Amino acid sequence: MSDDTPKPYVSKIDRRTALTWIGVVGAATAVGAGVVVYGPKTAGHAEAKGYGTDPNLAQPLKAPWPRILSKDELQTAAILADYILPATATAPAASALGIPDFIDEWVSAPYPDQVKDRPVIRDGLKALKGDLLGGDAGRRKAALAALPTSADARTLDFFKRFRALTIGAYYTTEAGFKDIGYIGNVPRTADPGPSPQVMAELGARLKQLGL
Amino acid sequence: MVGIGNVIDNKRGNAGVPEPYDVIVVGSGAGGGMSAYHLTKSGLKVLMLEAGRNYDPATETPMFNIPAQAPLRASSTPDKPFGFYDATVDGGWQVPNEPYTVAEGSEPFTWWRPRMLGGRTNHWGRIALRFGPLDFKPRSRDGLGYDWPITYDDLAPWYDKTEKLIGVSGAAPARGLTNTPDSPPGCLMETAPPRAFEVFYERAFKAMGIPVVPMHAAVVSGKMEGRNTCLFATPCGRGCQIGANFQSTTVLIPPAKATGNLTIVPNALVYQVDLDKAGKAKGVSYVDRVTGEHHSVTARAVVLAAGSGETARILLNSKSASFPNGLCNTHGMVGRYLMDSVGLTVNGQFPALEGLPPTNDDGQGTQHTYVPWWGYDKHKELGFPRGYHIEINGGRRMPSMGMAGLLPDDELSVGDDLRGKLRQRFGSVIGFDGRGEMIPNDDCYCELDPTVKDKWGIPVLRFHWKWGDYETGQAAHMVKTFTEVIERLGGKPMGKVETDGRKAISKGGEMIHEVGTVRMGASEADSVVNQYGQTWAVPNLFVTDGAVLVSSPDKNPTLSILALAWRSSDHLATLAKQGAL
Repeated sequence: MSDDTPKPYVSKIDRRTALTWIGVVGAATAVGAGVVVYGPKTAGHAEAKGYGTDPNLAQPLKAPWPRILSKDELQTAAILADYILPATATAPAASALGIPDFIDEWVSAPYPDQVKDRPVIRDGLKALKGDLLGGDAGRRKAALAALPTSADARTLDFFKRFRALTIGAYYTTEAGFKDIGYIGNVPRTADPGPSPQVMAELGARLKQLGL
Repeated sequence: MVGIGNVIDNKRGNAGVPEPYDVIVVGSGAGGGMSAYHLTKSGLKVLMLEAGRNYDPATETPMFNIPAQAPLRASSTPDKPFGFYDATVDGGWQVPNEPYTVAEGSEPFTWWRPRMLGGRTNHWGRIALRFGPLDFKPRSRDGLGYDWPITYDDLAPWYDKTEKLIGVSGAAPARGLTNTPDSPPGCLMETAPPRAFEVFYERAFKAMGIPVVPMHAAVVSGKMEGRNTCLFATPCGRGCQIGANFQSTTVLIPPAKATGNLTIVPNALVYQVDLDKAGKAKGVSYVDRVTGEHHSVTARAVVLAAGSGETARILLNSKSASFPNGLCNTHGMVGRYLMDSVGLTVNGQFPALEGLPPTNDDGQGTQHTYVPWWGYDKHKELGFPRGYHIEINGGRRMPSMGMAGLLPDDELSVGDDLRGKLRQRFGSVIGFDGRGEMIPNDDCYCELDPTVKDKWGIPVLRFHWKWGDYETGQAAHMVKTFTEVIERLGGKPMGKVETDGRKAISKGGEMIHEVGTVRMGASEADSVVNQYGQTWAVPNLFVTDGAVLVSSPDKNPTLSILALAWRSSDHLATLAKQGAL
């Protein structure tokens, strides 16, 4: 069945951006900073540079730090993201919106929240890789289905965090807005307030609350 | 050169700056912007020195950008603490190269600074509430705090003028609520109708006998001569490309420049007021943040409006034989009576708001309604002396990286189930923010740190902070009120609710309403400036920012800073015309 065969994840980053990262990594290597490594035992290594305190807001550049996830880890992330938010008749799958690349951008970032997430996400992806990439459809399905109820605290932490990042990344896109029913961010000449339909519905609910 | 006209490019040095100036204005935010506006309109030549870079809202504002266009989906980072799209440039809780310290044993204090033309007016919350009559006479009222040298009636005409100039929504029939002034007809524009969640929460407050009224917000919500009307989309905190809300950079500085009397030097970090032999201010010295070069400029008068902290720092660093402890600090008053607002938030999730038909809740950026303090006659029984207002946020607003927070922590569905649950709960969360009055106390002040200096060798501020029982008692009451409202509306608080006021209260400075380090008063013995912001010690030196505030009522300070700056600048202009500088 086509549903059971994960498509190879094709990164949504453009070639120019990728080349920029290669350039950044190259420069870092040249001055001896080395490639970015992750994990709790690497305290003291220099993080890549962030976007600084005065980035262009109107036309943001891509996040400047080099990406750390391997191809296999991205593919694992794609399968897991699509397990969390698969395609529907009206909404795209998470991977189609480039969510795995976003996860990579997130765990590669030099800021404290993201550095904290880095080992959680990367270790989780590494642990899942065998089941999701190496096995048959049955093994893949079983591994995914086991995640939300995992008795292992680290696995559960990973799943919760990966899911939260996937949800956040998905619903902050135009496709996500459409799926969740956010219809704002359009210029208007006036704000008419809630429709009569909304007011009627709200009125009924307030009545139920005795208000 | 990015920008809006006669801004001096620092890289070219200051050879092009024509001197002498009539007035040097230090700072370009609410106080500095308003001072420059009125002084240039009065025909005076003004040199404005801004510590940050030039900033042009017309080209730099990310109006309709969505999170997916920004790094990390626009999440908060140490580089951009209020999120990627927040208007703040080169700043936040820390400014590179410009440290500050908090004294050992002090409660936490945190200091938000931007480094951009227009200062914090570019990102501020646009809540524009007038102080009330009681706010100017707190000591006379109950013996706590200190009285201002002016009354509400002294400032009322300047509030009227300020509201008409900057554009404020919130028009409503006069209600006559205690200490919550109704603006005279013609000052305010009508607010957009309440959103569904605002209609919803009003019922609970009504049942508790607490009025809900239109928010006064510095947003052009209707037709206004010379201004664009709000587009009812995109958050005000990003700034406004079309100038439909109040920012110094869209409302005050452009008309000041149009007079031909304003010169702006950005990246000019002023650290000292220079005196002549007679003891009058002859100008200021600053360091160029980009080149590191030091410059001195001269004028007939100096206006400090660098923000309460920075203004105090400039005075404390201006040491001379006559003022060994800092300028105007003979009585040790500079840096004292530092205040902030009391603040905290409780979020609730409401089944009754779930699954409402999609509706556009973007609105005018700010809240459309709010809850002014209602307990003026109940303080004895409440056990704390001062009140708070409530700013309430909710609705189906643009999704952020925190979307998973809509669901309970142990809710781990996936697929269609997950999509359905998120859709169901989108727009069902309401956040209740309390903003309360703080009474000044002896434990809250700033001074120069004895050892720490900034990149250019200038001593930095050291803060001391301690909330009093008055404030923590008020904070506990906020939590009690918000949880009661949430319960009445059939909702549940999200996360653990901290009921201990001392633990629930915000950090000092966290509400970014730090005011009161150079307060005004009736005499030199207990204040630094008179009712016009004119320093007692140096008659041609004025202060027009939040530093002059004597009390810190629950009402957000910006509108009052603007009105006071206008009144003070008018006095300065009159003195200049009389040749009295």
